[in-house]
Amino acid sequence: MKSAAMRISSLISRSGQYILSMGLIASITVVLFTMRGGLDTTLIALLYLIPLGLISAYWGVGPGITSALITFFTFNYFFIPPYYTLAVHRPTDVVILVIFLVVAVVISQLVGRMQASLVAATAREREATQLYELSIALTGLHDDHAIAQILAKQVQEVSHGEYVQINITGLEPFSFRLSETASPMRSPELTVPIQAARGILGEILLWKPGPAISSGGKRLLETFASQGALALERARLAQAESRARVLEESDHLKSILLSSVSHELRTPLSTIKAAASSLRGNEVSWDSPARVELVAAIDDEADHLNMLVGNLLDMSRIESGALKPKREWNILSEIVGSVLARMRHSADEHKLEIDIAENLPFVPVDYVQMEQVFTNLVSNSLKYAPSNTLICIRANVEGDAVHVQVINQGPQVPSEHLERIFDKFYRVTAADRVTGTGLGLSICKGIIEAHGGRIWAENVPDGLAFNFTLPLIWEGVSPPNLPMDTETE
Amino acid sequence: MNNAPHILVIDDELQIQRAIRTILTEKGFRVTTASRGEEGLTLAATNVPDIIILDLGLPDMDGVEVCTRLREWTQCPIIILSVRDSERDKVAALDKGADDYLTKPFGIEELLARVRVALRHSTSRQGTQSKVVQAGSLVIDLAWHSVKRGDEDIKLTATEYKLLAYLAANHGRVLTHQSILANVWDPADANHTEYLRVYMRQLRKKLEVDPERPQFILTEPGIGYRFIADD
Repeated sequence: MKSAAMRISSLISRSGQYILSMGLIASITVVLFTMRGGLDTTLIALLYLIPLGLISAYWGVGPGITSALITFFTFNYFFIPPYYTLAVHRPTDVVILVIFLVVAVVISQLVGRMQASLVAATAREREATQLYELSIALTGLHDDHAIAQILAKQVQEVSHGEYVQINITGLEPFSFRLSETASPMRSPELTVPIQAARGILGEILLWKPGPAISSGGKRLLETFASQGALALERARLAQAESRARVLEESDHLKSILLSSVSHELRTPLSTIKAAASSLRGNEVSWDSPARVELVAAIDDEADHLNMLVGNLLDMSRIESGALKPKREWNILSEIVGSVLARMRHSADEHKLEIDIAENLPFVPVDYVQMEQVFTNLVSNSLKYAPSNTLICIRANVEGDAVHVQVINQGPQVPSEHLERIFDKFYRVTAADRVTGTGLGLSICKGIIEAHGGRIWAENVPDGLAFNFTLPLIWEGVSPPNLPMDTETE
Repeated sequence: MNNAPHILVIDDELQIQRAIRTILTEKGFRVTTASRGEEGLTLAATNVPDIIILDLGLPDMDGVEVCTRLREWTQCPIIILSVRDSERDKVAALDKGADDYLTKPFGIEELLARVRVALRHSTSRQGTQSKVVQAGSLVIDLAWHSVKRGDEDIKLTATEYKLLAYLAANHGRVLTHQSILANVWDPADANHTEYLRVYMRQLRKKLEVDPERPQFILTEPGIGYRFIADD
């Protein structure tokens, strides 16, 4: 329906040009006719050329030539004697008429052609501007969605279509639509592939009812598509490059891990091997105190090995994003209590203090993972803080979060290292002077971040404090408030 | 020798089988071993054991599945063996009727303690349940609903007592959050672990010498609680 209406309106505007041309010729004819007696035939011919030039200049070759032919007849009919006939008696009039016709046609063709080339030049200039705008908008974009959005917007701007959709193929294919509504139920009027050197990256779908899209319009859209292809390819190259960089980094970390792990695993294994073989070889008498010591060493070192393997598993789980906290409303002091109870043996050279308010709200955390965090922070403190010093665990509510601190009286860490001690394998002291995989703190970081919290370290006047926050809001819910029953049996 | 308790070990790792068999035989148990789930189910049916030790990671079927199939016809105690970090599987197996669990690697005294508890509960299931549970200076009389530390009576609220009684009646065994909530509160409350946390804290405050470092009510991280009584 719509297309028919548009066709009619363009028909009207074109026939309007012809009618206006006729009108102009008619009025000039009337004016000249009133002055017929005083004007020379050649002058009239010249005066007739003025409207012809104007018509060609404004409305193009078609109206120009038509007007030229009509003028030829009116000129002959009204101004060349004998009047009111198309017959010509004087040979000079024949010459004037022929010259007039040739000049009129040539003028209208020349002016019309100039006009047409001016229109084409303007269109080319507009295309160039639009292309320039598109390429400016596309530079610096590294995201397929943003590129599709810009492309769709520009296509819409130049084509004035009813609906534009951009389909992007690849690893994560998607469709971008300019408006929220669904695409029209019919197939699009124009489909332009987004063709890159290595294959088709997508397509531009344009719904535009009305006259068929001109070849120039198609060409412009094809140029747009190739600009889009360039941008998409650039984005993909950038992504590939950053992936390659990450891989390289993780490769480097893996080789550090391998050397660190083999060293770390071999130490307890050597102890176990030495102790077990000496027990087996009867070199130690059955009732000597050395035997008890060797057996204890095997037991302890087996636990140590188990812990190392556990750390490695945790780390790989954090790295692969498989560490999903199984959250429940927990009491923080219960978690801390069970960690300290378990660590009592290794912590007998330090004083441990818990400073957690009785009425601290429930925290939505994974019990086992939070145990791991406290275990790692406390054992890190035990490792570096001198014996007979205090290790204090504190927790306070701050806004919508709980702020937890594990404070020791160990050596301070130079400020340039504070940020990095949570990195994998990062050590402030040389690796051969302390034991451990260098993973403990980075596991804490992984767990706290999986809980939506933040972890950092800071120097305090007489030691080092590990800080972390845990959000109290879980899926939009605040900690439950449970009234206690006090009635006794 | 035929009166010795019979233990069936279902584990596909031959080293573990060998170690458990050696130690348990040394301790006077009769030990049968199976490396696959189906084999274990057949052995359990032909020669009914007193205790089953079951590894969760079997090559032919899921350990939880073995547990479910066993519980269809026998109440024989099942002790689960599993690696660290599989709390979900452990809880699933315990909720499907397993009695206890041990995380690999484990110390042999832990295994023996679990075996002792399992044997005691399998005999108490046959009717000789003790009505008084003693844990250090703590005496809980399940018949008279009384709790004493030394000579001092401990006042508990109704819910606290119900909770303690359930723990004490199953002393030595791990009880999952779900089973405690379903038994002490209501099966509909099985997901409200925060109730449990609060009451457990109150209970510890009343019973334990140092509530921050409990000796009677132990937390089994990610699984549940265990009440430790004198044997």
